[in-house]
Amino acid sequence: MKSSGTRSAAPREKFTVFSAILLGLLILYVISLFIPLFWAFVTSFKDQNTDFRINVIGFPKEWIIDNFRTIFMEFSYSVDSVAGTRQVGVGMLYLNSLAYALGCSFCATIVPCITAYLCARFPYKFSKVICMTVIIVMVIPIVGSQPSEVQMARMLGLYDTIWGLWIMKANFLGMYFLVFFGIFKVLPKGYSEAAKVDGAGNFTVLFRIVLPLVRNTFFTVMLINFITFWNDYQTPLIFMPSFPTISMGMWQMASTNIQNFATVPMRMAGAIIMLIPILAIFLAFHKRLLGNLTLGGLKG
Amino acid sequence: MLHGKKAGRTGYLKEKYRDMIFYILLIAFPVVQFSFFWIGVNFNSILMTFQKIEIDVTAGQYVTRWTLETISNAFQNMFGDPAMLQIMWTSVLSWFLILIIGTPLGLIFSFYIYKEFPLSKAFRVILFLPSILSAIVMATIYNFFVERAIPAAASEWFGIQGVSGLFTNTQTRYGTLIFFNIWVGFGTSVLMYSNGMSTISQEIVDAAHIDGANGLREFWYISLPLVWQTFSTFVIVGVAGIFTNQINLYALYGGSAPLNMQTYGYYLYMRTVAAAGNSAEYPPIAALGFIMTLIAVPLTLLVRRLLEKFGPKED
Repeated sequence: MKSSGTRSAAPREKFTVFSAILLGLLILYVISLFIPLFWAFVTSFKDQNTDFRINVIGFPKEWIIDNFRTIFMEFSYSVDSVAGTRQVGVGMLYLNSLAYALGCSFCATIVPCITAYLCARFPYKFSKVICMTVIIVMVIPIVGSQPSEVQMARMLGLYDTIWGLWIMKANFLGMYFLVFFGIFKVLPKGYSEAAKVDGAGNFTVLFRIVLPLVRNTFFTVMLINFITFWNDYQTPLIFMPSFPTISMGMWQMASTNIQNFATVPMRMAGAIIMLIPILAIFLAFHKRLLGNLTLGGLKG
Repeated sequence: MLHGKKAGRTGYLKEKYRDMIFYILLIAFPVVQFSFFWIGVNFNSILMTFQKIEIDVTAGQYVTRWTLETISNAFQNMFGDPAMLQIMWTSVLSWFLILIIGTPLGLIFSFYIYKEFPLSKAFRVILFLPSILSAIVMATIYNFFVERAIPAAASEWFGIQGVSGLFTNTQTRYGTLIFFNIWVGFGTSVLMYSNGMSTISQEIVDAAHIDGANGLREFWYISLPLVWQTFSTFVIVGVAGIFTNQINLYALYGGSAPLNMQTYGYYLYMRTVAAAGNSAEYPPIAALGFIMTLIAVPLTLLVRRLLEKFGPKED
């Protein structure tokens, strides 16, 4: 695991022509990033008929919030099933997103965390097998297994349920196993041993001593996972079509032909509604997200 | 004394036994999950490659039969169908363009951040921003911006009439798509590279400065070789991207992306969605995926070997 701790030690360097070119490129990038976002924000306050049709790039003649109100009050996601078509409103889309993202992010964090703890602290041969498996699976690229995954989910009764996806995402594979493994390997054993001398069992040591010690890393990994699952529309689209999320709603709105919502200002309002929760999380926790992440892992 | 030793040994064995029970109880779920959703799923995927699933209308159920027809058809489809050859070309070209344009830019941006030049902290946050924002949101905004705002700006600000949307114009749409993928793709890699560079020893940097290496020379001779490991990891993992990267086509086009822009990743996902749970559609998709895996595994190992052999050495 690498640490980003030496960053602040680097002294300010001489500003060369190369640096000036880089600064220019970065400024161009930032401008190119913010102009479309700003345009989307401004457009979301325009009326399609009286404003946007004749004023695509200017500021709104009158700032209106009707687009946002219409989306909250009237937009719904159509779910087609054998029983017929069912409409799911924005409130329910948010709730589904929350249930999907919270559950999956917790499962996708706790499982690698506990598996890594077992492998790091219990040097059985099987622990070595688990570690080798993680490395091998990371190196072998498997393509096109999604249909088989759908079949498996159906066979186990997990298809088209939110909790089914929690179970499907609760695997120990991937980078975060290595992150937790690295931490548990170097975590001093003194606390656990002292607790054991006082009569604590393995479960007490794990849940009352070890997990609180790695709570910072745990929270950061869970936060990254939460953002990933909140933004994910492709997995729910295939695996839980009856429980649409806000991302799926945005995807449907981006391609809808329903007159009320098929306008650019309305779609931009939808995009802004979708952006706000993640932007708020990012602004609140960006130091934690940016500061803890390295390729080798995350520091605790 | 002997009794004490025996009691100590019994206590030790009891503790080992308790450890074993604890271990088995907690490892059971991850192992079962892995058995079903990695081993089971991939094994079933291989089996499907040799299956044909049909619907028996009278019995109202799926009938599976074993055949080499599925894999043989997939092979012919992949290497004989002009549409699939076009998809292969686009997949490789997209991977290559994103690699040779996006990676160097990511590396030099990381160098700027690592050297803590003006506004580097703000750039670090801003470069990461697109990777936490939803792909569907970014794609929707970008789509309408290049389709509506850019033609309007060309007309109103520069008096150029008749500019069509950059995705509508067949001459510009692929370039616009690749630009979008590079544009939103810096986040994680810049963070990793700059964090990697920050672990470079200050003595090495000072020695390079004494030898007159500044700016570009320092980047080329010091920083780049020392983050080569990180760079290699991105390239090795990225090789599979030839077969899995959708280059945001589903977010931009849904199921109707123009054929000459489609990649393998998009094609496979689109077919899985289009199957809508109909198992009869799955074997041909699994067979295509199987062939791609057979290509991707040795290719990944080969790229890994080449990077190890020809990459710069830290010493």
